[in-house]
Amino acid sequence: MPEQIDTRLLGREVTFGVSGPWLAYWLVIMRLVVGWWLLHAGLDKFASWPFDASWFIGSAAAGTSIGPFVTLFSDGILLSFTNVMIPLGQTLIGLGLILGALTRLAAFFGAFLMLFFYFINGETGGWSHGLVTGDLLGLLLFAMIATLGAGRVLGVDAYLARTAFVRDHPKLRYLIG
Amino acid sequence: MEQLNTADKIAAYLGGGLVVFGVVVIGLLEMLLGSGHPVDGEGQIVHEALVPLEVRSYIILLGLIVWGVYAVYRVVATTPEPVPAEP
Repeated sequence: MPEQIDTRLLGREVTFGVSGPWLAYWLVIMRLVVGWWLLHAGLDKFASWPFDASWFIGSAAAGTSIGPFVTLFSDGILLSFTNVMIPLGQTLIGLGLILGALTRLAAFFGAFLMLFFYFINGETGGWSHGLVTGDLLGLLLFAMIATLGAGRVLGVDAYLARTAFVRDHPKLRYLIG
Repeated sequence: MEQLNTADKIAAYLGGGLVVFGVVVIGLLEMLLGSGHPVDGEGQIVHEALVPLEVRSYIILLGLIVWGVYAVYRVVATTPEPVPAEP
């Protein structure tokens, strides 16, 4: 029997049914596929270490909308930091999504990362395949995973949510779920 | 029934509105009123945009930033509503 959703959106009553098993199923599928996307990207960089992001966040990013901010990280200690944080971040985001652990936190940083990829890849390529790219769709998937709290389905977060520590610190539910 | 409060609505409607405006609405205007977008032999769309792509991307960027700022605001300034006890 579908779960009944009753809410309001744009000032209107909205009522619709959602199949519980299929919703749970797709939350897990999305988590696994998107998680593997990032985990693979991160592990690949570690496997062929050292990783150097200087071209991407330097000359490639320079002429883009977010260039003035991103290029600050293209030299010196901030570049060294970025060279570690991109593969490490991608690996942790991927692991978080696959295991369903700190899922919302992982998805937030996934979306954060995608923001940079979306604009740097899109603008350096002249948006030659249009404005809706894989990076934008990835960003939206991360946002959806975070919004729906996908880690609670067959994920570590389902366990974490029941711990006394999380019950005593309800704000943590914003990071798990 | 859970409803969106004012901050939720600002983030949802402003952020989502800007993203949908930048991607869909301007995209539709480009199709209806702009010049054609022939695809060349390499599969690339040849752009002669009615609304400069840079402007479109700024609109989308603004929408995404609104969503991001809202996410941070929720974590910093609010506490989640209690959920029914899970079995």
